[in-house]
Amino acid sequence: MNSKIIWVKINDDNYYKVLTKLNSLSINIYDNKKINNYILIKTTLKDYQRIQKYLISYDTSIYAYTGITKAEKITKKYIVFLIASIISIILLFMANNMVFKIEVKSNNAKINQLVLDELQKNGLTTFKLKLKHPKIEKIVNKILDDNKDTLEWLEINYDGMFMNVYVTEKTPIVKEEEHSFCHIVANTDAKISNMNIYRGVALKEINDYVTKGEIILSGEVSFNEEVKNKVCASGEIYGEVWYKVKVTVPFKETYIEYTGKNRYNLSVKINDNTYSILKSRIKNKKIEETNLYKLNDFAINLVKEKEYVTKEKIISEEEAYNKALSLAEEKIKLKLSANEDIIVKKVLKKEVNDSTIYVEVFIVTKENIAELKVVEEDNLNDSTNNP
Amino acid sequence: MKNLHFNEYFKNFLFDLNNFISIYENNFHVFNYTKLNKLQGDEIIITMANKIVTIKGVDLKVIKMTKQELLIKGEVLKVEFTYE
Repeated sequence: MNSKIIWVKINDDNYYKVLTKLNSLSINIYDNKKINNYILIKTTLKDYQRIQKYLISYDTSIYAYTGITKAEKITKKYIVFLIASIISIILLFMANNMVFKIEVKSNNAKINQLVLDELQKNGLTTFKLKLKHPKIEKIVNKILDDNKDTLEWLEINYDGMFMNVYVTEKTPIVKEEEHSFCHIVANTDAKISNMNIYRGVALKEINDYVTKGEIILSGEVSFNEEVKNKVCASGEIYGEVWYKVKVTVPFKETYIEYTGKNRYNLSVKINDNTYSILKSRIKNKKIEETNLYKLNDFAINLVKEKEYVTKEKIISEEEAYNKALSLAEEKIKLKLSANEDIIVKKVLKKEVNDSTIYVEVFIVTKENIAELKVVEEDNLNDSTNNP
Repeated sequence: MKNLHFNEYFKNFLFDLNNFISIYENNFHVFNYTKLNKLQGDEIIITMANKIVTIKGVDLKVIKMTKQELLIKGEVLKVEFTYE
């Protein structure tokens, strides 16, 4: 303890006299400095005690500590700061490496509970340290193996202090209901343009006109007017379907024009609520958001507000007419599926008023008109009893 | 706790001499001196086993001083040995 090295301050400017006296006392001096009217000597704490004892006439004091003693003194001086720092580091470590909340991302409450129970069984609970990827993968595989019939897929990942568990439950494979006896009927009035028959007997041919509900493919397989077998007819029947579309388009058209005035703002999003930092002074605006920071349900966004004005313009008769045609086409296209299309488009009527144009368009489409009509058991018996 | 004096043993092993003086550049090293008789900026007088060493110079200063060793720095002009 006494061999600790310290700097001692001796308030005397006679350098040689002081050192001679120290030598006579057999004081070890490891370094020394003469500064203005005092002398600094590097010695041991034990020697300093001897200086104090024998050189009473000199004004001496400890100037500084070195090595471990210095570290001890600094530690004592900043003990509160050090403890606070250590606690902060521990808290930071906990925040980075501990799980505070487990969130199972599934809409099914039963599955949620099942997954939570399974996680708990495998040691994945809140207020525990995060596990490394290989361990997580092992647990995920174990849970999936244990719940083969219920769980299809499971993924665990960490987002800050949260552990998100994504789960997909197994959906039972529902076998397509097989019907024993059914017909294919027309779902609308049409002219048959194409037929792909997989099963059943065709009662209509290509270019035949059919009305809604009329049988196209029959499930009754007959020979010499005698029903030999009853099957569920299947096939694709495409037909030409006619539509009459009425569209009115005004000559006055509104559109938006950007003024070039932009305003930037910051918004804070907590859960589903958004709070703007600054008050917006633009009435008509288009908002573009750029995410700056995101942590779970908390986000800070940079908001760009672009001001615009609504303007009106008068379009020509030709423009209005073209617009009406495309609107009519769009209206029909909304009803069509992938293999269906418009094949004929004809204007039946065109009326121009002061402010609008009225167009009546005749449209022919090629679409699937097949509809499965199942013949129930009762109907089947009826048909057998009453031929 | 008993002091083992490792440093002293090590020094004795390295400096296999009773006492010596070494001068290099502006440093004057004295090993195993008996007494420091005089300490001044221009003159230092040291008693060693059988001789008195007088060092004359300019701005002589003590760098290190223990019971055994003395390290002096400064411009050494003259070293005088007086044997008893």
